Amino acid sequence: MKKYWKSIDELRDTPEIQKLKENEFAELLPVHSVIENQAENGIASSRRDFLKLMGFSLSAAALSACEAPVVKSIPYLVKPEEIIPGVANWYASNYFDGTDYCPILIKTREGRPIKIEGNKDSKITGGAINARVQASLLSLYDTGRYKEPLKNGQPATWDECDREIAEKLSSISARGGNIRIVTSSLASPSAKKIIGEFIQRYSVQQAGDELTAGAEPDSAAAAMTQKFPANNVKHIVYDAVSCSAIIRANEKFFGKTVIPSYRFDKAETIVSIGADFLANWISSIEYAQQYGKNKRQIKHFQYEAALTLTGCNADARIPVKPSQYGNILLGIYNIIAKETGAPVLSVNPVEFSGKIEKSAMSLLGSKGKSLVVCGTNNIAHQIITNAINQLLGNYGNTIDLNNPDLTRQNDDSSMQEFITELKNGKIDAALFWNVNPVYSHPDGKDIENGLKNTGLTVSFALSPDETSSAIQYVCPDNHFLESWNDASPKPAHYGLCQPVISPLYKTRQFQESFLKWMGSNSDYYSYIRNYWKENIFPQQNKTVLFETFWKKALHDGIVEPESLILSNTALPVVETNNVLVEESVGKISGASEKSGRFEIVFYQKTATGNGSHANNPWLQELPDPVSKVCWDNYLTMSPKQMEELGLNMRQGQEEVADVVELTVSGNKVRVPVFPLPGQTYGTVGLAVGYGRTVSGKVGKGIGVNAYPLLRLEDGAMQYESADASVSVSVGKYNLASTQVHHTMMGRNIVRETTLEEYSKNPKAGNEETVIAMHGGEKLPPALVNMWKDHEKNDQWWNLSIDLSACIGCGACTISCQVENNLPVVGKDEINRSRDMQWLRIDRYFSSDEKDGDLDKMEIPSDAENLQVSFQPVMCQHCNHAPCETVCPVAATTHSTDGLNMMAYNRCVGTRYCANNCPYKVRRFNWFEYDKYSKFKDINPAQDDMGRMTLNPDVVVRSRGVMEKCTMCYQRIQDGKLKAKREGRPLKDGEIATACEAVCPTHAITFGNALDESSRVAKLKPDDRKYTLLDELDTQPSVFYLTKVRNV
Amino acid sequence: MRGIIYRIVALVSVTCIILISASYADTSEGEKLFKTTCVACHTIGKGRLVGPDLKDVHTRKPEDWQIKWIRNSTEVINSGDEYGRKLFEEFNKVMMPANNFTDDQIKSILSYIKAEGEKAATAQTTPVPSGETPSGTEIKSDKYQFYLLAGILTVLIILFLILRNVVQTLAVLAARKKGLPVPETLPLGKDIMRWVSGHKRIVALVIIILFAFGSGKAWYWMLEIGVEQGYEPAQPIQYSHKIHAGDNGIQCVYCHFGAEKSKTAGIPPALVCMNCHKYIKTGKQTGTTEIAKIYAALDYNPDKGTYGNNPKPIEWVRVHNLPDLAYFNHSQHVTVGKIACQTCHGPVQTMEVMRQEKTLTMGWCVDCHRKTEVALAENPYYKKLHEVLAQRLNKNTFTVEDMGGTDCVKCHY
Repeated sequence: MKKYWKSIDELRDTPEIQKLKENEFAELLPVHSVIENQAENGIASSRRDFLKLMGFSLSAAALSACEAPVVKSIPYLVKPEEIIPGVANWYASNYFDGTDYCPILIKTREGRPIKIEGNKDSKITGGAINARVQASLLSLYDTGRYKEPLKNGQPATWDECDREIAEKLSSISARGGNIRIVTSSLASPSAKKIIGEFIQRYSVQQAGDELTAGAEPDSAAAAMTQKFPANNVKHIVYDAVSCSAIIRANEKFFGKTVIPSYRFDKAETIVSIGADFLANWISSIEYAQQYGKNKRQIKHFQYEAALTLTGCNADARIPVKPSQYGNILLGIYNIIAKETGAPVLSVNPVEFSGKIEKSAMSLLGSKGKSLVVCGTNNIAHQIITNAINQLLGNYGNTIDLNNPDLTRQNDDSSMQEFITELKNGKIDAALFWNVNPVYSHPDGKDIENGLKNTGLTVSFALSPDETSSAIQYVCPDNHFLESWNDASPKPAHYGLCQPVISPLYKTRQFQESFLKWMGSNSDYYSYIRNYWKENIFPQQNKTVLFETFWKKALHDGIVEPESLILSNTALPVVETNNVLVEESVGKISGASEKSGRFEIVFYQKTATGNGSHANNPWLQELPDPVSKVCWDNYLTMSPKQMEELGLNMRQGQEEVADVVELTVSGNKVRVPVFPLPGQTYGTVGLAVGYGRTVSGKVGKGIGVNAYPLLRLEDGAMQYESADASVSVSVGKYNLASTQVHHTMMGRNIVRETTLEEYSKNPKAGNEETVIAMHGGEKLPPALVNMWKDHEKNDQWWNLSIDLSACIGCGACTISCQVENNLPVVGKDEINRSRDMQWLRIDRYFSSDEKDGDLDKMEIPSDAENLQVSFQPVMCQHCNHAPCETVCPVAATTHSTDGLNMMAYNRCVGTRYCANNCPYKVRRFNWFEYDKYSKFKDINPAQDDMGRMTLNPDVVVRSRGVMEKCTMCYQRIQDGKLKAKREGRPLKDGEIATACEAVCPTHAITFGNALDESSRVAKLKPDDRKYTLLDELDTQPSVFYLTKVRNV
Repeated sequence: MRGIIYRIVALVSVTCIILISASYADTSEGEKLFKTTCVACHTIGKGRLVGPDLKDVHTRKPEDWQIKWIRNSTEVINSGDEYGRKLFEEFNKVMMPANNFTDDQIKSILSYIKAEGEKAATAQTTPVPSGETPSGTEIKSDKYQFYLLAGILTVLIILFLILRNVVQTLAVLAARKKGLPVPETLPLGKDIMRWVSGHKRIVALVIIILFAFGSGKAWYWMLEIGVEQGYEPAQPIQYSHKIHAGDNGIQCVYCHFGAEKSKTAGIPPALVCMNCHKYIKTGKQTGTTEIAKIYAALDYNPDKGTYGNNPKPIEWVRVHNLPDLAYFNHSQHVTVGKIACQTCHGPVQTMEVMRQEKTLTMGWCVDCHRKTEVALAENPYYKKLHEVLAQRLNKNTFTVEDMGGTDCVKCHY
């Protein structure tokens, strides 16, 4: 017999080979790591051992699964009186972060805040809220927060910091050194008073005086600073995105250094020049709510370069270049001046195919009921805007100067002065609260260097940022949910903020730090109470006892007059105004287009704003309403221009965006380009608020920082530039977008009509769908279906979405995310179309091509007559649900109250339902987002602190199951149970889904369609009502109302 | 036979418990007030607790005095009332808290006490009902059955072996007698194998039956996975529901106050214990050891009556564990459905150690929802539903299921 051998040794059959033959494998299997001890003892383990071990551990695992774990239940020892475990408590408070103001209600469970919603009693915001305010909840539980005071980056004690800072301040003050307090705009009257007292305490004039804090009333402190203008202690108000030009213009024009209150609800014609007042301009939450009140009656013109949320909602949007803003204002001014008999200015007329004329005539047609706003930070522009509004008689009607908006006080020139002083080493102490100028100021580098040479630097930052990293003493502030505070957004309007949780870390409110350093032993609570007793309590006469007043203020969160008083005082026509206008004309005419250059606008994204929320994964993942891109900023450019530059216009997992080099006034950044229809040809747009270098684990290094590209002009920060250039593609970068198809491809998804047609025929734009039968007859879909209807009892939950009211802001998406424990999945997963948001807002650009050529249908119409529609889409809760019929395990079925149910624990993950869903609203859990390491840095549910935001009434879904909108069934259950316990019928409006509860424009209405008196039942027979893809006859419980445009 | 007796006893006890719980649910205002307010310190005919035993209290003082006393005893004492002062001294100067009951409410409490006192008097003459059979009866009878079966099986095997021996011996004897060759006696194993090979069909049938039986058993065993019926963990404090809820008749919701308002019934905060145990320092069964644990948790000094600042929470072991995926709301069942606690938790008032009485499986929930009729007419919330259901289903009584109570989404979201 032949012998096969592998080696000479084997042929010779050496003892080594003999030994090897006994073992099946030449090398041992790596089981040593499994049973290390045995290996160490020289016991060779065989495959059999390995299998035995495997088998044992498997069966052990199986057996241990049978044994239920011991669950400990630890009750309160002493239960707080107001807490019943399992029952939510709501507290009223106010939110103001230097940008957004709104009165809020905070839902807490067992002492943990878990949701923020608007306070409907507020006469300013009427319960409106935006995505940012809602998401601010998460920053409370941010593990990256400062947990204790730091001294030169090392942990220190409060006593140590207090002693050293107070000593240094005293010695600086004694030698007349310069102390600067840099804060964002303040809305808190008591904080303003504390800062006033602090200034007084450390001013040269008062140095050494034994002044007790709180002894001097506010006015005295103010008078003191007035009296000695060359004070060595100054309070500088700095906002990352400034609107100081409006304040300066009003100072020059009316002698009032204020931002007026705008009343968009009183306006019939609105002309906005680059003002994104629905999302980012001044008090946008208030304006969005006012705008939504009677949107159909408003005629809204928007002149802008980059497509903003406000532009998307305009009835007529005119794409213009930023350098033309001034001339457009002058054009409108001249037409109105001519008609009203005021002196006409001599300017070169600009023409946008009669649009300026049309806007001006519309404004004239609604004199006193019109409003012109300008979003630039250009004093000349604002002066002309004031002049137009004055000619139209809008002051006292739609603009209220006597009840101004008190939430903005910033002054760009004083900040500039501070930076110059800092550079020259003239500052001895600098204190920063809620500002991050190292990041958000174009001279950030100078500030950073200057701070290194400053004797005393203090930051009150909540969590590490670029500025606090360059500072000696970090005295971390409490999160606003841990703080006492107050706010006065308008004169005679007050808000009281209360803590809803004890401070999680060793932090202290900045006001209290100030009190400490002034040698006061008063805590801020007593201070604020005293302040209210002395200043706000006397302003009313309804309650006699302060205690009653205080309790009511705490309960309501707000103290407001009975009705919003609109001051109708006519404003005197100031002689010098004409001179001001003439001056402005000169300035505007000076600014002109530069040939061969791009113009750029810097804007804020609706979700992330000015960048202070960069570390918030909810906001990072909220798609931008306009571009639908999340987790990045990018250069927006008109598709036509991109084609010319040869840049990639397709978006998707495999389609990677081109990166270009952007040069603005000599500063260069590399940034990906995104095609945005509606962007004016020859202009580009770039969002600020990205490119953070120090900002927790989520926000760090997302996008590029646009702030260094800004420049100051005429003492005001400019957010436009005519001096930009864009290179050819220098690289590739992947942008993640939740929507890659931008038109409706000729289908009837968003139904819309014009006000004119609607007034003729209420069914305009909402033509009945018919299905052609083989015999040629045409029948409504309901007559050709094969379904049996579900039997209903007394409840059938319906949701109505008014597309006319929806502004696409995304507040509902975030509300849904918070309410229903939706995971954050990150850019990579978004790129794979695995986003998990139950409620998406589809954004469609109108396409000129109606039918026929599919290629043309895909391309949105060009910028000139671009129209944008928003459509929130969640599970439509079909009564003939395609998903229910294909589920092999009956995990998704129909409920008796007309909802499409989803039993997660029954689901085996075939995803048939998602395939069969015509609305694509089902979301599949590809991973255990709360455990898998890929999502460690982005999904808040991965750490113990982030998990605190989870709603205990909703399960956290596991891997491999399908999920979708439940119409907030937990809220339905809660509302029903409350009525049952009280033994009364359910009231309409008592139950609100999370999306409805936060909608600033009341576009969403939820209710029982079988209750004839409910709002939703009354909306159902409306001529505007339609259901999505009704040719399929899925009979959704969600219905839409046709969008009516006032063109 | 004895198994059957045990079963009957168990059945009787369960019936008694249901009857007892039914009588619990039927509450007059006086009873309700007494059980939510007075019961923490007073008994009716069961001896003194913090305050005096209230049996026959109506004979002690006139009604108007009693009303004054109950509403605000401090006032009565301060007015110099001798009897009041005597009571105050006698009961360790513990003041009865004042309240704002109406005269009618106090009268209803007094009449309830009177009625209960009379009931207690009659109960003493009649034998104690069999509701006090030891717990875990069914489990014991199961064990008994097992031993019985094992015994019978052993006897049968022995019998089989003996008979086999006898048969073999007889066969040998018979062969010898007839002069035939003596048959070979096979060892037991080979003998069985020979029989098996001769009766293949029977063996196959037996194997199939055994397999089917085994699979069935395995199926039911698997259904039991995660079902913790009978779970009776040791608790950090040997708290007896029997003494508190049974003997002293404290209402369940006195301590588990969440049950009426919240989804969770909740374990009472230790301070609730102190409502009584500030005064009751010695337990009936465990003396001071267990009550001392409450004091330790709260860092309470019983001699000085002061609380320290080093409290430690009590880590109770949770007995009834519903998985997170199931939403259950106590207030829906207790306040709206008016279901007695014992329906799901068993005869808690007889349990020394808290035990999971029911399976808590989904089948068990759904079963009850299918059977339980809802008193729609009693709650105005259901007015319209009642009309709709009456028309749609053409009947007058409706189960939870008829109202949509078995929809997945009612409990899973």
